[in-house]
Amino acid sequence: MNLIIDIAVLLLLLIGCFFFLAGTIGVLRLPDIYARLHPSTKCDTLGAGSVLLAMAIYSGWSGDIYRLFIIGFFLFVSSATCGHAIGRSAVKSGIACFKKETETVNLHPEK
Amino acid sequence: MNNAITLAAIIIVVNSLLCLYRTIKGPTVQDRLLGINIVGTKALTVLVLASFIFQSNFYLDVAIVYALLNFIVVVVISRYLETSGKRQ
Repeated sequence: MNLIIDIAVLLLLLIGCFFFLAGTIGVLRLPDIYARLHPSTKCDTLGAGSVLLAMAIYSGWSGDIYRLFIIGFFLFVSSATCGHAIGRSAVKSGIACFKKETETVNLHPEK
Repeated sequence: MNNAITLAAIIIVVNSLLCLYRTIKGPTVQDRLLGINIVGTKALTVLVLASFIFQSNFYLDVAIVYALLNFIVVVVISRYLETSGKRQ
């Protein structure tokens, strides 16, 4: 039983670190503020959520688990609200969307 | 198990240092706000991990306050950016 708890905690920590890394790469690489909102909210919900779940399993039925559930619930509510607020302020202040510059391919180079 | 939690905390700290690049470089104010939001979430997660590394409860209370502060900062600054250009 102890081994199962250890494996579950390690697996959830690994999933959390993977989603944190994916969110970081997305924020660094994507071209636009509207596109960057997507990995940031994934980073909040999936990464922090699975790390908090791992710590809730690791702590057992002690007093810490109530605090962990309060943090998790508040994080799930606040991350969606923060993403919406940032996107709304970007739209209202008139930031243009990213458009891919299409290269003009010259099909007839001799003309 | 303690070593694994420490390793996860180190990985999350390195990720948040990488996210500071977007905060410094970001072309608009909203990009900087997004970077600050992500760094705040990662600091909260590191605080939760630190409470289990050092076996002390009060880091979790600090993490709750940090979540509240992060949420209020992002909502207030984005609301300010939204309405500040309209009153001129």
